[in-house]
Amino acid sequence: MVHALEEIRRVLVPEGILLDIRPLADRWPVEVASAGAVRETGRLDDLAEQVNADAASNEAMQAAEARGWFKREQAEFFPFFYSWDTPGDMEEFIAEDWSDFIGLGEAARQATRSAWAVGEADSRVRVRVKILITKWRVTAADRNSYRRNTTAPG
Amino acid sequence: MTLYKDPEGSEKKYLHKFVDFARARVLEVGCGEGRMTWQYAKSTGATIGIDPDRDALRVATVDRPSDLQDKVLFACAESECLPFSSETFDIAVLAWSL
Repeated sequence: MVHALEEIRRVLVPEGILLDIRPLADRWPVEVASAGAVRETGRLDDLAEQVNADAASNEAMQAAEARGWFKREQAEFFPFFYSWDTPGDMEEFIAEDWSDFIGLGEAARQATRSAWAVGEADSRVRVRVKILITKWRVTAADRNSYRRNTTAPG
Repeated sequence: MTLYKDPEGSEKKYLHKFVDFARARVLEVGCGEGRMTWQYAKSTGATIGIDPDRDALRVATVDRPSDLQDKVLFACAESECLPFSSETFDIAVLAWSL
């Protein structure tokens, strides 16, 4: 991961920008939403794989910053919704695409099904994914210093 | 099953809030099927999306809008070994890929 950041820095111009956009595990809320109302029905469970992946990504960016490759200029969180017509569609998607890193507990599943069943005709089920966007600027540090330090003498 | 991703367009809004893509040379790392690419590429000077997943890149190439045919290119590559010369891009986007 750190080597990838070094490579990205290499291909960026001086003062170039690196935009890092990624979801962060944070027990994402499950909601039943219609035009008139939004109701949170539970939270997804963060599994160890996702938590560890987030930590590794954060550590890689910290290492790149510590080495003087990039300087953080701006960061914010924003919501990114995954939305389905029915609870069954959501459950199917989670089982097929997210089961390695996110879990849907029985209580949240039942509460979502119940809320959707008694909701408005236009009700959908959605997951509010937490996204971190960070803007990094290439610093003026010596671009060849890392290579010099890690290249064996020949 | 119908899945709607980001129906409110938050990601596009934040992309353009954080960076001015106008005429920039952009590298997108982990472009996948190009979902994020289409949200900013129109205003760039040129965009190259890379991903190690050839199947995803085929989808991205097929889905590429006609007005972006000459502006957006895709390549199969790993981020640890970028097949580009130094100081080629103004902006790099890590698209859910770090």
